[in-house]
Parts: sequence; structure tokens; C-alpha cells
Amino acid sequence: MVIVPEFLIRRIYQKGSLKRLENGASLNLKNVLGPGFISGFNYVKINDVTYEAKDVKFITNNNEIAGTDVSEENPIAFRLGQTGTLVMTGSECVLDGNNKIIIEVMNPEAGKVQLSVEDVV
Amino acid sequence: MNVTYDKYSLMVDGSRVFIKSGAFHYFRTPGEKMARDRFYKMKAGGYNTVDIYFNWNYHSPKLGEYDFSGIKDVRKVLQAAKDAGLFIIARPGPFINAEVNAGGLPFWLLKMEDVIPRNRIGTEYKYSPKYMEYISEWYDQIIPIINEFDNVILFQIENEYATDTMEEDYMKELYKMARDRGITCPIFHNDAYFAGLWADCVDIYALDLYPYINPNQNWRQDNFCFDTLDNVEDIFRSAKESSPPFIAEMQSGWFDKWDGSGYKHIREALGDEHINIMTKTALSQGVTIFNHYMTVGGTNWDDLACDEVYTSYEFTAPIDEFGVPQSNFYKAKEINYFIDSFDFTCTEPKDFEFYQENIYSKLRQDNINHCDWLFLRNLNSEETNVALPNGKVVKIRPYDMKICPIDLDLYGCKIEFSDIEIFARIKNEAEEAIFLISDKKAKMYLDGGTIISGEQKDFNNYIFERNGKKTQFIFLTKALADKSWFMGDRIIFNADYVLPNGAVAVDKNTEIAYFDLKYKFGKKNCIVDAFSNSVETKNLHISDVEFCSPEIDNDYNYSGWKKIGEKTDAFSCDIYDEFIWYKSKIPNNISEITLSARHLFAVYINGKEVINRNSYKLEKLQEVPETISVPLNKKILSKSENELTILVQNLGFDKGFSGDTNSPRGLVSFETSPQIPVEFYVRDKLSIEHTQKYESESPYLAKISAEFDVDMREDVFFAKYVSFENFRCRRATIYLNGVKIGRYIKRRNVQEKFYLINEFLKPHNKLDIVVWEKERNIKSNWDFKSDLKNVIILLGTYKKCQLFK
Repeated sequence: MVIVPEFLIRRIYQKGSLKRLENGASLNLKNVLGPGFISGFNYVKINDVTYEAKDVKFITNNNEIAGTDVSEENPIAFRLGQTGTLVMTGSECVLDGNNKIIIEVMNPEAGKVQLSVEDVV
Repeated sequence: MNVTYDKYSLMVDGSRVFIKSGAFHYFRTPGEKMARDRFYKMKAGGYNTVDIYFNWNYHSPKLGEYDFSGIKDVRKVLQAAKDAGLFIIARPGPFINAEVNAGGLPFWLLKMEDVIPRNRIGTEYKYSPKYMEYISEWYDQIIPIINEFDNVILFQIENEYATDTMEEDYMKELYKMARDRGITCPIFHNDAYFAGLWADCVDIYALDLYPYINPNQNWRQDNFCFDTLDNVEDIFRSAKESSPPFIAEMQSGWFDKWDGSGYKHIREALGDEHINIMTKTALSQGVTIFNHYMTVGGTNWDDLACDEVYTSYEFTAPIDEFGVPQSNFYKAKEINYFIDSFDFTCTEPKDFEFYQENIYSKLRQDNINHCDWLFLRNLNSEETNVALPNGKVVKIRPYDMKICPIDLDLYGCKIEFSDIEIFARIKNEAEEAIFLISDKKAKMYLDGGTIISGEQKDFNNYIFERNGKKTQFIFLTKALADKSWFMGDRIIFNADYVLPNGAVAVDKNTEIAYFDLKYKFGKKNCIVDAFSNSVETKNLHISDVEFCSPEIDNDYNYSGWKKIGEKTDAFSCDIYDEFIWYKSKIPNNISEITLSARHLFAVYINGKEVINRNSYKLEKLQEVPETISVPLNKKILSKSENELTILVQNLGFDKGFSGDTNSPRGLVSFETSPQIPVEFYVRDKLSIEHTQKYESESPYLAKISAEFDVDMREDVFFAKYVSFENFRCRRATIYLNGVKIGRYIKRRNVQEKFYLINEFLKPHNKLDIVVWEKERNIKSNWDFKSDLKNVIILLGTYKKCQLFK
């Protein structure tokens, strides 16, 4: 657990970005906290559906990165101000109205960083 | 001293002051004399302020007890800072982190059931009136001392604090408590998340910036680590428009950990480029108050360390743990002198349209010197020609940064543009001497078409006059600049360092040169007669080896020890020392014991070791608890009632930044199979720290003793160490004249040289090293003693300098 207050972590999520995809969902992130690395995508949970790293890809700077390709040995840079789209596939999850989203990633310095937000579709 | 501020800078008694501060831990550099030495070096290096954490835990061993005597006399430390001509940034916490044991919170406080340290559980805010009551007690002790010193210019409340909901009452209450106790200077907090936190609860908004916190990271390759710093002025302005940009902790080094990569690696990884980039980029962002964290390295002697760090808190600081200036000190010195030469306290950002890959550029308008300053940084891995819109091409070395004056009016000429680094400036009303650092690829363009090349030898000079006023440019090579010292009205050359009274320190026969505007150059020969070698090593002669753990011996009388209840951890025992002994008796029908202990421990039954283990493990910054089961048999439990001894070594409590200060230490759990109640008696410390006789039959802890003399001349600075480079044992605790000065645990990159802290040295010294070895290395008692008598421990002199008035 790292002491980064939740309200700060939540700022990474771009409100209103949750979209329903065929067999999945997408959402946008923007790093407004500070430069750093993501060293793993643990999971993304939207409502009752949990997507593991294998079900997640991160599209940033015109690159598509599979969640399983990101690790402590192969971290990806996430610069201050950088944006990215998380795409989850495997099953449908987005509900009309309010959606609960939890994203858990790894950071080499902070360990587990969990973002928990709600968004309306 | 009246301290005010506006959006540009701090003002002391009405005058703008650029605050160039360095962090110093008096508890890690104990005693007035050592503090004075470090402060003088800081002052000589151009710092005008020292940042001081006050460590509550260090002063309050027990509820209601406060110790500000002897080496804990902070008045003497503050007076030494004042004598050195330094302002003080006072940071009394209550929580300070600083990688100290429990983040500086007293152990007795952590034990209190109705106290919630820092008013938070995890990230959740939970106000604790009892906690606030004890903070009042601490502030009542420390603030009156701080108030005795009028050179205190800033006061910090809490440290890198945040909660999920950011309730303001805790911070507001701390602010009020400080004001109610007479603090008159501006109050600030250091926001670790650079998110404008607590800006409305304090006078001046400040933040901490550490772009390099992962030694496995290559900041040269991942150069976007400066992204936040490159935009920090916007953060300051949006957080609090009315206060000056203030970096309360600006990285000038980094700490190493038990499982770290070693200070040698960190120092090489940071290089001198990092402090150069950090400080100059901060200037480019309008920062007028910075604090290099750390400027002086220190030592985690006694039980100062939190569990994460080992004895050395060298921090790759500009002045290292031994008190010796390092190359990043010389770089900081250059920048500090430059800031002193041209008042930088009132500048504005100015539009500058420019882009070149990996080149950072920032233009500032200087409202005092009426010129512009162009900041250029090259994060390419090769030297880069930066082609500027004004037609000038600046060559910048990889990872270097330059500050270029534009239209800078001087007494005898005007600099149209220059990329030659300015080192220092001395001036009176009619004349100025500007010292420049030679650089064969740089040029200075003067009004009127004169161009001066930066390719110059030491003391080459150029003189320009107009309207009866004179400007002299004098060149210094980088090597000479490192040994040159700006003393306000003069510069001293060729010295290792200087004291505020003008005394110079050299480590060999040296011709010292001086320059001032009245007498110009002068010379003086300093003949070193106090020593022949400034660096030396020799093998220590081991005079004695004794076994020193009578606690493990059969039939040891522990009836005077403290009897504890069911819970066995350090808090429950009320013992916070590094070592805790547990004694009990168990029957012979036990088939297994299961225990968890932090951090290193050994179990002895009937005087024989059954397990000896290092349970210290961190993963993803979190402690990994370990529970171990040890099978027992009739051979081990040879009596109907068997004597059980457990020794636990606690490497420190969590520092409380991302973990929990209240994580248990000592024997955390203990169970037998079949389960029976075990009644423990406990005691702290190793026997040699108690006055009792400590000779023992048990060969598991052995004390190696050696004696040595030190020539303690008042006119000689020296730093000594013991080296365990060729030491065969795995663990040792080092005592110098009875004071615990180091913890040695063999690990790949971790320290082997231990500073013999000057404060504890005497003309004749005794070094005791208690070796706690695993049984597998012990063939027989005689062999073990004989082995230990032949271990190699080096006594070294790291640096000596003789002082000349």
C-alpha cells in the first residue's frame, strides 16, 4: 500500500471516457500526477467483470501494448501529461447508468497503485 | 529578524534573500563540534541556510522525559549554525520520516492505545485528540528552544502528509499550535505529491521533488523524470499565487537500503550532472527557496535507523558522511556562488519560442539585473549544438545545463550573450571582478563586437572600462574553480576548504592564492607538518576475544528480567532496543515451535542453537512477514524442563511513509506444538551494553576487541573508519568506546566501511565488535576464538586536512 491519497489517484481517470465495446470496454487515462513507470497491469474490474492482464491492452503514443508485455523487467513509461486508452476484451461489462471501475497497476517505486472511480454511460 | 515574503522571494528585514539551503541531521552527525565543521563547510560552499529536522524520538525515550543535554543539546547545534552565518529552516515534525526509526515518533507514543499516529489509518483520516495532546507536549519542549534563535526563517508543520479526504483540521491545529508558541516566521508544509496540498493551511506552499528514486532507473535514458520540475512554476502559481516558489526538499542525492545497490552505484548514477540539472532547472522555474536534501550525509549510529536503511546515511550528499566535500559539492558551490553574484530573487518567465529534441529551454526576465537569462539543458547522450533564434550556437555537453546572460550590463561593458559559466563576482562601487570557468567551446559576446573565447588558462584576464568603472573577467579552469572559495569580498584559491574566519584547510603542502579588489592577488605557503599521509590504512591488532552471551548459558539467572504476558512483540514488552532477549522453560514433549520475529533471530535450547535466521525481507516497499516452524526432538529437548533462549535483532521500526510505524518488532508470535502457554522473561541490549559481567561459555556471540590511538590536534580535520572488506563473519555490531556506531550484515552491495564518528573518538580508543555468527561456522570454541583473533579489520584514515589561519 502506498500513501497516495485516493482523490489524487482518481485524477488519472478521464471522466466520461468509459465506452462500451463489442465484447468489452475502453476508458482513457491521463497522467496528471508526475512522471513514472507502469511495471504491470494487475487487473481492471468494471462492475462484476474482472479483466486480467491478458485481457487488457494499453494504447498510448500510437503504440498498442499488451497487458502481459508489461512487467518489472519491461516497464512502460507514463510521462506527465501523457494520455492512453485502456481496452478490455473478453466479456461485456458496461451498464447503462453508473459503472464501478477499479484499475490496479504496479509502479516500481510505489508498488500496487489502485484507482477506484465511478463513471456514467 | 522579520521574515516576510511576496510571490518572488523571502524577505529578511525587508531585503530580498535567495534561500540556498542544505539539509543536515544533527542526530546523525552528533555533537556541536561536528555540526560546526559541517556548517562551516556548507557556508564555504555558498549555502546560506541549513534545514534541520528535530527528531522527537531522539529526545524523548520515555513518556514525559525529554533530553536536550550533551550531544542532544540542540541549542548548541542551532548556535553553531548561527555562528556559521546560516539561516535555519526548522522542521520539528511531529513526524519527520528521514528514514529514522519510526519516522521520529517516540516509541512510547506508538504504544498508546488511544493514539493514532499522524491522525490517519492507511490513507483514511482519523482524528486522535490524544495524539494532538502529545504533540502539544513536544512543541512545548522544542519550540521555545527554536524561538531562542532569531535566524530561524521558516518553520514546517508535519511532513509529506496526505489523506484521502484531506480534512484540514489537523494541519490547521498544528499551524495554530506553532503560532501560539511564538513562531513568527512563515509556516509551510512540504507537499510530496506536488498537487497543491495544504496550500490554504500554511503561509508558503512548498513541495518536495525527487526525480530519481529508483537506483535501477537510468535517469539519463529515462530523462522525462524531470517533467514535473520542468513545469513546477505552474504548480506553484496555481497552488498559491502569493508565495514564492519553494522546493522544500530538492534532490541532491538518494538513500540506499539493505537490499540496495550501494552508495558507490548511486553516486555514480547521479553524477554531478543531476544536482546541476536539478538546481539550474529550479532557477529557470523561478524557485527562490531551495533545500538540497541532503547536503550533509550522516550515520545511523545507535538505533537511529528505520528498518529500511543500514548504518551509513551517506545519501550521496555533497558533503559525505565523513564530512568530506564530494564532486557534487563543487557543482553546488558553483551554482550557489553564481546566485550570490547576481541577485536572482525577482525574475519573471518570458516567452521563448524554441524547440530542439531533448533540449530544455527557458527564458527569464530579471527585474533586478535588468537583463534576461536563458536556461539551456541538453538531455541528448552526445554533445549538441543548440542553434538559437538570435543566431548564436551553444555547444552543450550531454546532460549539462547552462545559464546564459543576455544583455547583462556590467560596470565596464555589456554582455550581449555568453555561454561561459560565471563562477563568482566580487564588486565594490567602482570595480568588479567576474570569475569565469574556462570552456574551450564557449564564447562571450560583448556589446561592440568583442568576442572572448572560453578557452583560457587559469587567471587569464580581460579588463573593460567605461565611465570610470571597471570590469575584469578572470578565468579559472574547472579544477581550480573546485578549489576556489568565494568569501564575499575575496576569493581564496587552492584550498580544500575554508572556514568563515578565512582559515584554509589543505591536505598537502600548498601555495594558497588570494584575490580581492584592494590588494589584487596575494600568496601564502602552507606547509603541512601535522601528518605525512592524508590517507592511510593499517590492520587493527585484535587484543582480545571473549564469548559474550551469558544469556544463552545453561542455568543463567534471569529472575531479575521483566516477565511479560501472552503478547511478546516489542510494544508489548515495552522494549525498543535493537536486541531483545527472551527466556523461558519448555517441557520435553514439544515436537515443534512456530515463530515469527523481526528481523534477525536465533533460538537456543539448553545452550545450543536450533535456528539462526534473517527474516528481513522487503518486497514492493512492503515488509514481508515470515513464520518459521522448527521441529524439535528428544535430543534437543534433553531435559524434563528445557531452557529456551531467543535473541531477536530489530533493525528498526517502519519509517511510516508508506508503511505502518506500528508494525510489530521483536518476537511477534510464538507457539508450541502441542500448544502450551509459555511464560517469557525479557531484557534489552547485548550484555556488553550492560555493566554486568559478560563472559560466557556459549560461542554464538563473541566480542573482538582492539585498541588504537588518534592524534587529536585542533588544527587537523580527520575522518577515520574501520573496514570489514576482508571480514569473514556475517554479522557484527560495532562499538566505539562503548557507543554503538554500526551494524554489519554481509550483503552484496551494502557498506563495509564504518565511520568512526569523531564525536566518540578519544586519544586512546577501544573498539569492540560483537560477532553474532551462525553455528555452521563454529567448529569448536577454541577454533572459533582463534579464527576471530585472526580476522582482518582495517583501520583507515579517509581524509586529513591541516588548517592554517
